[in-house]
Amino acid sequence: MAKEVVDAMAMQRALTRITYEIIERNRGIGNLVLIGVKTRGVYLADRIASRLHQLEDTVVPVGQLDVSGYRDDIANSEPTTKAAISNLNTSVTDKKVVLVDDVLFTGRTIRAAMDAIMDLGRPNSINLAVLVDRGHRELPIRADFVGKNIPTAQNERIQVSVNEVDGKDSVEIITGKD
Amino acid sequence: MTERYLILSDGTAYKGQAFGSPATTSGTIVFNTSVTGYQEIITDPIYHNQIIVFTTPTIGAVGVNHESYESILPTAKGVVVREVAEVSTNRQRSLSLDQFLRVHNIPGISGIDTRQLVRKLRTHNGLNASIVDVADEHAFDQLNAIVLTNQQVSQVATPRPYANPGMGHNIVVMDFGLKSGILRELAVRDANVTVVPYTTTADDILNLDPDGIILSSGPGDPRDLGKDILTTIKTLETRVPLLGIGLGHELFALANGATIQRLPVAHQGMNHPIREIITNQIMYAAQAEEYGVDRDSINRDQLLITHIDLIDGSIQGLRHRDYPAFSVQFFPDAAPGPWEATQVFDDFIELTGIRGEQH
Repeated sequence: MAKEVVDAMAMQRALTRITYEIIERNRGIGNLVLIGVKTRGVYLADRIASRLHQLEDTVVPVGQLDVSGYRDDIANSEPTTKAAISNLNTSVTDKKVVLVDDVLFTGRTIRAAMDAIMDLGRPNSINLAVLVDRGHRELPIRADFVGKNIPTAQNERIQVSVNEVDGKDSVEIITGKD
Repeated sequence: MTERYLILSDGTAYKGQAFGSPATTSGTIVFNTSVTGYQEIITDPIYHNQIIVFTTPTIGAVGVNHESYESILPTAKGVVVREVAEVSTNRQRSLSLDQFLRVHNIPGISGIDTRQLVRKLRTHNGLNASIVDVADEHAFDQLNAIVLTNQQVSQVATPRPYANPGMGHNIVVMDFGLKSGILRELAVRDANVTVVPYTTTADDILNLDPDGIILSSGPGDPRDLGKDILTTIKTLETRVPLLGIGLGHELFALANGATIQRLPVAHQGMNHPIREIITNQIMYAAQAEEYGVDRDSINRDQLLITHIDLIDGSIQGLRHRDYPAFSVQFFPDAAPGPWEATQVFDDFIELTGIRGEQH
């Protein structure tokens, strides 16, 4: 059974608020790099970048990060040799990196993402922006910018849909078999 | 019907028919282009000492109902219309507009060519006017002799703090002549509200342990309120999430170094598209503006411009770069006005919630 907890309008507002908070925290957007975690984090990062562009008339670089080669929780995953970050035309060294993902759950994806970024250079800082924090962390990781905190049970699933791939903007809680 | 006159301080007189109170009245004359919401407009304290011209041809068709008061006692000085509806029908109606204006001793005048009048008001900003029985020399002398107070806020704002309890976030509203819509929208969001006089110090407000602070809308020129209030705002914005509305927006801008100017033509209505810059989306809201933030005076290292009026280019929203503090020139409480603007309150409550959890 799916229950919508964030609708399209609320998702837009959450991304808008996160954008303002990124400006607030970083005292401007100079030296900023957004890195979206594939798949949906990339679209969310793009939307934050377009908001920053609207507001500040500055293009913030957006990278796409594929963490599959860095994960520790997928059995038999082959060590990957291809670059984990694509579409980024700048180095991350000395940059203020904001990592963007749709759901923060165990924290393992973010751990993998940080390793992937560190392999490419030494950023000045890494912040984490997530649309949904659903709890149940297995690693000491927390988000700096949260769209919505949604307390969940372990057996529930959070389904984030974005217009670009799913044809709609929403966050749903899915319980039981769907 | 009794004939009466609307006379203006530039020497013109308009003959019309009396309705509402038979009193003689004087005030600054302004026009409002809203098609709906006359009851909310007449009862909004921002019209303190003002005579309101409605450009909508017929006013009064839905009477007056108990849900649409924006203040307990209206402080507008008069109502000018093309035609006042003799019959009003609405299931919530409890009074006709005529009865309502009699109860509150507000004169009205109908049968005025409001199209011609508005053309004049567009080029003659800030005229005074009277509604009188006889438009003779004596009446004009009286009109030219009136001195309207510039202390409107102290006339309409609460002199004492009061509570509007709820179970949610703790919100302090600084009252500069607030309209009920602000409290209504906070009640919808279950906020625990304390309304305080606008002269309350930052320390006294912070002692209430607010999760968020609202600087309310209100009448008049924000520059007449004195520097102490700006110092208070400067302290508060660094400590607690803050939302300024209308006059509160102008004060927020002043506190952060911008300047305010009187608009060449006051704009009162809800037909201007407002662009939210960050999302490039358009919204509509009720607006009532005689003053605006001077765009060139805004320190862009300190404030972000968040909303722009697409018709006259006026600044409709600001946000502090370093603190969770923002403001809107328009009225987001949809009383009257389109509902879409109420998301400003959602944004504000969300911001107070996040800060509240971090404590």
